[in-house]
Amino acid sequence: MAKAIPKKGSRGRIGSRKSIRKIPKGVIHIQASFNNTIVTVTDVRGRVVSWSSAGTCGFRGTRRGTPFAAQTAAANAIRAVVDQGMQRAEVMIKGPGLGRDAALRAIRRSGILLTFVRDVTPMPHNGCRPPKKRRV
Amino acid sequence: MASSSLANFLSIFTPFKSPPPQPTKAPPSHLSVSTDSSSNNKSAFAPIVTSNNSSSSSSSSSCSGDLMSVVCPSLAYANTLYFRSAYNVQVIVEDNEPEEKLLGRFRREVMKAGVIQECKRRRYFENKQEEKKRKHREAAKRNRRRRGPFRNFNDDKTESVNKKRDDDNDNWEMPEDSPLN
Repeated sequence: MAKAIPKKGSRGRIGSRKSIRKIPKGVIHIQASFNNTIVTVTDVRGRVVSWSSAGTCGFRGTRRGTPFAAQTAAANAIRAVVDQGMQRAEVMIKGPGLGRDAALRAIRRSGILLTFVRDVTPMPHNGCRPPKKRRV
Repeated sequence: MASSSLANFLSIFTPFKSPPPQPTKAPPSHLSVSTDSSSNNKSAFAPIVTSNNSSSSSSSSSCSGDLMSVVCPSLAYANTLYFRSAYNVQVIVEDNEPEEKLLGRFRREVMKAGVIQECKRRRYFENKQEEKKRKHREAAKRNRRRRGPFRNFNDDKTESVNKKRDDDNDNWEMPEDSPLN
């Protein structure tokens, strides 16, 4: 059974429209875990524009968690949006990990104007029970 | 800064509520009561650096929030809607700040807030024994730093004085107006 999709002009062509979208101000989210670093660039509302991670940059295994990998991931992500015309950005850093400083450094070096740098690591107010200790 | 942010918010938000009957002067304190030491809520307005853990407002613009609550009550808390995410640490970047300085400042703030320490602690479960040990260690570290350097000089003196005072309060002897004296 076919659902009647309401015909709106923009609906059918939303794919191509998104790539042309120009945003002067955006938010860069850096999720730095112990094993990897993911850099996502979104607009101020949170809609993702582009992303890159240490894994997609070609590093695998233990090398993904290194600060150098974080640096390349950040550089990759920024390069994709700079040509879209983003000038200012906020940075939100999440998680412990070696990639925090390195990615921030790379963002700074890429020439984007930073307004805030925030740490948004989620902190439970003693919520869920974490997994048991590893006995290695 | 208040006017520019006001213009920003006017373009995005239309005033969705009629001006409330009594405009409150202070911005709403959406301060979550938290037991963690890492989520300290210092709402002092430092122009350069703020570290906060508020559930809906960033108090870096607490000053302009006050102003806006007087100027336009319905938009006074538009700031709180804008920055909806809670953050642990916020560093405001100035123009042309050298990279190392920014990084150093950020790192220092994070260390002050204890974010990474907290994260590592919460990775795996720690039972009551572990928790007690950790608290003991932390307390020792804190007290050692504060009282360590002074202890060596005044230790004997204060101890002896205290002992004397204790003895005096003990009422070993009969009171002076007793018939037995």
